[in-house]
Amino acid sequence: MTNELTTWLDTLLAELEGIRVRRTSRRRLRVDVASDALPALLELLRGRASFVHLSAISCVDWIDAGQFELVYHCWSYEIQSLVSVHTRIPREPGVYISVYDIYRPAAFFERDIHEMFGVWFEGSPDLSRFILTEWDGPPPMRKDFDSEAWVNQHFDWQDYHPDWLKDLETRGGGIAVPPDEQRFSRRNVDET
Amino acid sequence: MTHIDQVPTPGAPRPVEIGVKPGTKRTNPFARVFDELVRFAQSRSLFMLHYCTGCGAVELPPAMTSRFDMERLGIQPMVSPRQADILLITGYVSVKTLKRVILTYEQMNSPKYVIGICSCTVNGGMYWQSYATAKKLNDYMPVDIYIAGCMPRPEAVIEGLRGLIENIRTGRADAWKDYYRRYDHYLGNQQRLFGADWQTPTDVIAEARHYDLFGPATLGAHTALLEQHQRPLEALEMRIEIPELMRRRSRSDQGGTAQ
Repeated sequence: MTNELTTWLDTLLAELEGIRVRRTSRRRLRVDVASDALPALLELLRGRASFVHLSAISCVDWIDAGQFELVYHCWSYEIQSLVSVHTRIPREPGVYISVYDIYRPAAFFERDIHEMFGVWFEGSPDLSRFILTEWDGPPPMRKDFDSEAWVNQHFDWQDYHPDWLKDLETRGGGIAVPPDEQRFSRRNVDET
Repeated sequence: MTHIDQVPTPGAPRPVEIGVKPGTKRTNPFARVFDELVRFAQSRSLFMLHYCTGCGAVELPPAMTSRFDMERLGIQPMVSPRQADILLITGYVSVKTLKRVILTYEQMNSPKYVIGICSCTVNGGMYWQSYATAKKLNDYMPVDIYIAGCMPRPEAVIEGLRGLIENIRTGRADAWKDYYRRYDHYLGNQQRLFGADWQTPTDVIAEARHYDLFGPATLGAHTALLEQHQRPLEALEMRIEIPELMRRRSRSDQGGTAQ
């Protein structure tokens, strides 16, 4: 039964124009679609092909290509397979259409992506702050956000020989490997 | 004549004198003995509020329960900050959590002790370049003891707690006084993260006066900024809004009039 449905889905998607379908494994299907055709495809998947569960929307920042890649993961309980619909939108101005009318949970994912990547979803019910309630910087998951520079600007580093460490050293403890000799030290990376 | 107790010894930290305001003359010859007794009693009955922010929390159940048994040291978990002596921060503190940690800390009664467990509270640990994680806990509140490790084993936790007990017994665990003496410094660091309108419901400056710990560094540029932005606290409005209950009540009212 499941196999039949899978074959049926494959033939259905193969007949659609303008999309590229690749079966990555027995239960996973990757679909690449143009951004203007994505809502129609999701409508089709949900309405006609039993993909009623939108597990997640993920976003990838392809900064060199100047694009955001949005991935809609849809799961079907009948066919028991996952269809990942990939689409790319221009990084500037980073505006896309909401799929809230097709999948209700999309509201949360879109709110999250708006917060982390700054993508504006037209028609999403609420794009206010979600997790980073006090954040006033740029969207932090963008590739051009320099987290280390932000940290240097907003926080002080721990002194490597604070007073309380002297107590430990008198008792025989302390830092075993000095910061300069550590394998993954920032300073070693800077020098090379 | 100056009593020998009032002469501060240079270099050595001054022992905590419980219940005695500096400047008052101590006439009781047994005062020192009594202080020591009180400190001993205090160090052997500690109630701990563990604010489990990160992964270090998983080391606490074994430290508390039968295997390592924290209670033999007189340390018990406590559910509310008002009744707790120790605030245990286990792991990374995100900026959002830090707000809650500070609120919790300020609600605790003095003397209060803060223990930072795990590398993350010391220097950010593996989250050193994360934009959302505070790096040094002692920038925002005075920390008595750090227990480093990622994560420290229950033995290390117990060792750290024993260190704190020893510090309390000898009167060296007085980091909490620093929060009052240098409130401006801590408030400044908090404002740097949370913005100029950051305010807590606790009036720390008044508490500093109450504990007689008001010093020249209690007030400063940052407390001035706080005063500028401070909104008076208002009591929360009590209101019951349960739609189902309201509907049922109005229905029964109507039923009553019809009959």
